[in-house]
Amino acid sequence: MAPASCALCQNAKAILKRPKTGQQICKECFFYVFETEVHHTILEAQLFKPGDKVAIGASGGKDSTVLAYVMKTLNDRYKYGLELFLLSIDEGITGYRDDSLETVKRNQQQYDMPLKILSYDELYGWTMDAIVSRIGKKNNCTFCGVFRRQALDRGASTLNVDHIVTGHNADDIAETVLMNIMRGDIARLGRCTVICTQGEDTIKRSKPFKYAYEKEIVMYAYFKKLDYFSTECIYSPDAYRGHARAFLKDLEAARPSAIIDIIHSGEAFEVKEEIKATQKAQQTCMRCGYMSSNELCKACTLLEGLERGMANSVITDRARRKMDELRPAPDILRTIPQYRSPLPAVSVEVAPQS
Amino acid sequence: MSSCGNPDSSEADALMPRRLKYGRSRDCVRCREKPGNIVIRHAVYCRDCFSPLVTLKFRKALQPSINASAGTSKRPRLKADGNLLMAFSGGLGSSLLLDIVHRIYFSNESVLNENEEPVGGKNHPRNADVWPSATVCYVEVCNAFPGMRDSTEELRTVVSQYPCFEYVATRIEDAFDRSWWLRVGGLPSFSQLSVDIGNPTSCDLSIISALFTPAERSPTDCLLAYLSSLPTQTAISTAIQTFIRILTLYTARSRGASHLLLGTSLTSLSISLISSISQGGGYTTREELQEEWTQSGIGSTEIAPTIRIVRPLRDVTMKECAAYARWNNITVVGKQRVPATTQGIHSLTKDFIVGLEKDYPSTVSTIARTCAKLAPKDAPKGSCLLCQRPMQHDIQEWKNRISIRSFGEAKLASDLHTPPNPHNNMPPPPLSSQSIDQTLSLTPHLCYSCHTTLTSRSSRGLKSTGSLPVPLPVWVSPPLLDSARVVNPDEDRGEVFQNRQPMRDAIAEYLLES
Repeated sequence: MAPASCALCQNAKAILKRPKTGQQICKECFFYVFETEVHHTILEAQLFKPGDKVAIGASGGKDSTVLAYVMKTLNDRYKYGLELFLLSIDEGITGYRDDSLETVKRNQQQYDMPLKILSYDELYGWTMDAIVSRIGKKNNCTFCGVFRRQALDRGASTLNVDHIVTGHNADDIAETVLMNIMRGDIARLGRCTVICTQGEDTIKRSKPFKYAYEKEIVMYAYFKKLDYFSTECIYSPDAYRGHARAFLKDLEAARPSAIIDIIHSGEAFEVKEEIKATQKAQQTCMRCGYMSSNELCKACTLLEGLERGMANSVITDRARRKMDELRPAPDILRTIPQYRSPLPAVSVEVAPQS
Repeated sequence: MSSCGNPDSSEADALMPRRLKYGRSRDCVRCREKPGNIVIRHAVYCRDCFSPLVTLKFRKALQPSINASAGTSKRPRLKADGNLLMAFSGGLGSSLLLDIVHRIYFSNESVLNENEEPVGGKNHPRNADVWPSATVCYVEVCNAFPGMRDSTEELRTVVSQYPCFEYVATRIEDAFDRSWWLRVGGLPSFSQLSVDIGNPTSCDLSIISALFTPAERSPTDCLLAYLSSLPTQTAISTAIQTFIRILTLYTARSRGASHLLLGTSLTSLSISLISSISQGGGYTTREELQEEWTQSGIGSTEIAPTIRIVRPLRDVTMKECAAYARWNNITVVGKQRVPATTQGIHSLTKDFIVGLEKDYPSTVSTIARTCAKLAPKDAPKGSCLLCQRPMQHDIQEWKNRISIRSFGEAKLASDLHTPPNPHNNMPPPPLSSQSIDQTLSLTPHLCYSCHTTLTSRSSRGLKSTGSLPVPLPVWVSPPLLDSARVVNPDEDRGEVFQNRQPMRDAIAEYLLES
């Protein structure tokens, strides 16, 4: 059978089948459509304006490595006028993050971007290794996720940037939509498909790979010969998310458009107004100044639990109240440094154009 | 991007500690006297307390929807606007539905108190006629798949246990049967509209029109042609579900029904919700839970009747349904598993949710409760011609923006910046010569989910049907032809033809020269 010609340019020989559309296309056309779709996503959501300082959340994994490369390419090609930085968080996971940070350092050289590494140790006084040795693997992702989110904002604050972009891809977002429905997290469900979020005094955060399939990101890295660190986190035993991820992969195998279809579903609905009215209003953490829906932000609550040797009892709000009833927090307690946003206090939520 | 989430079975127990299967006591949590017979989400019930619990949930889910307006009374007299139609498949949920509806609303066995007055008062549904009549509708699908047996008569026997219910059997191929369409009061059409879905790279669905001829294909042939042209197992399963739903709705309308009851249990509802969301049906999540259907395409002088589609078992899990059926001796014939759909999204979702329910029993309830808190983001553009559910705006624009399928797409051309040509020696890409609105296409009349059903292909190889036109269900043609007349109001053509040959065939007898 004669090799098929590219379904897009009709000229070159097709060498791959696009996971997103099923079309057989050539390598050059794949690069072009992949980059152009990301460009369209950026334009439609009006993510940047000329002169913006943008930090790329870089872990050394495939998504952030490709994101750094594509952001640099698009910034040069379409003259966005952005000043790009790499921002990495060192969670302190021996044998995992220390290796992946080496990849980030190589990226820094290759893409010629300034790099800032902020560690959990210097920010919270705890590494993930220490946390896991204290609490075990159970619930460790809760600590890591909460700490990472705040660490990114604080790192961005020290770089004085306007915007953080992360490598969340379409698979991640589809998985999150399903997860939030299955665990009834209506607040997160309402915002998980929003491409760009910004709290009152947090830095704008967006996901340019919102519509990019994970498989295409890997494909892009493969054909561009980008090197990335591909090991799964050694402390990643979130069984429930694992179920959701395996299910999503089954759906994708049955019909590849399922990923984008789930995102479309997530964009098509919203939380009813009467339900929104019952949700907690955002406030500022009385201890560290970071945004919070309670008096204390989640990171301060978790840190206090660690410091008091009661880490497992602060995962839920109810457990936290019980801990407080038991005995109040001592005055001498290691705390997170005060958060200072580089931005004026505004509240903006950019909805995706659908 | 996610660095968390490696499903490791050896770690699972350490992460999600299992709760005890039941609370502190093995005695019934309601009467606190008898030993429990069943555990429902960690609560134990005895057999005597369990059945009233199920019927209570049933009534709570159904009764607020019976009266056309809520009124001010806390316990209004239940009186529906029209008749009742119940969808029956022979499965567990619909068997329960028939039995409970019969017991509560049609048994006419008033329980009298010591003063010989009916217990519950005259407004109690047992003592008052809520619906004038009740029909049970079954849609037989055996002709869609070889090897399936016809269950029409078997189910007739089951329904005959309830003498006050009338049994109506329709067949899945009626979706392509003009005589059925006219019988249920559909608008007549002299065109058999077909669609071209054979092009594996195009997402546009061009319409091909043809006059009916004596040698036209039988409804079964049309059905088989339609199903065989669908690109995935998911699409086949979804098409069957859509056809059953629409056939039942039109049957309900022809019977003067104000309510259509479905035997969807909480488990089935959660499966439907996740399956629908996974197929892009997020905009109609509300309709998956509860729906009011008004037929589109009715003349402006008529008042279109509204049918409320209610799922009274939506708070009862499959396990509870099974226990209720067993302890109340309800005959369950069982549904035949539809072949050729086992790898579809609906089947995968079913396996996933049923499996998840074992380890995380509250998940199905959480899914339904979460989805009940959602609403569509924007006002609808109209109704989808295929599934007749609300349709969102700008579906094709969204699809085109997310995935570039050709270099001729308008979005590329209108890009604010000059896109580089991936092949410098290539001629510039041609722009599309026709926009969607300029040609008769089914695409702008379909919701996201139905369009995806017809166009989204599997990664396991492209299934191409060539250029054979695929017939469309009978309810699609009249409104589609109407819309074509609206697009070209100056041309009172009656019928729209895109190909020269059908045009010629239509006027052949008037041509003097062949």
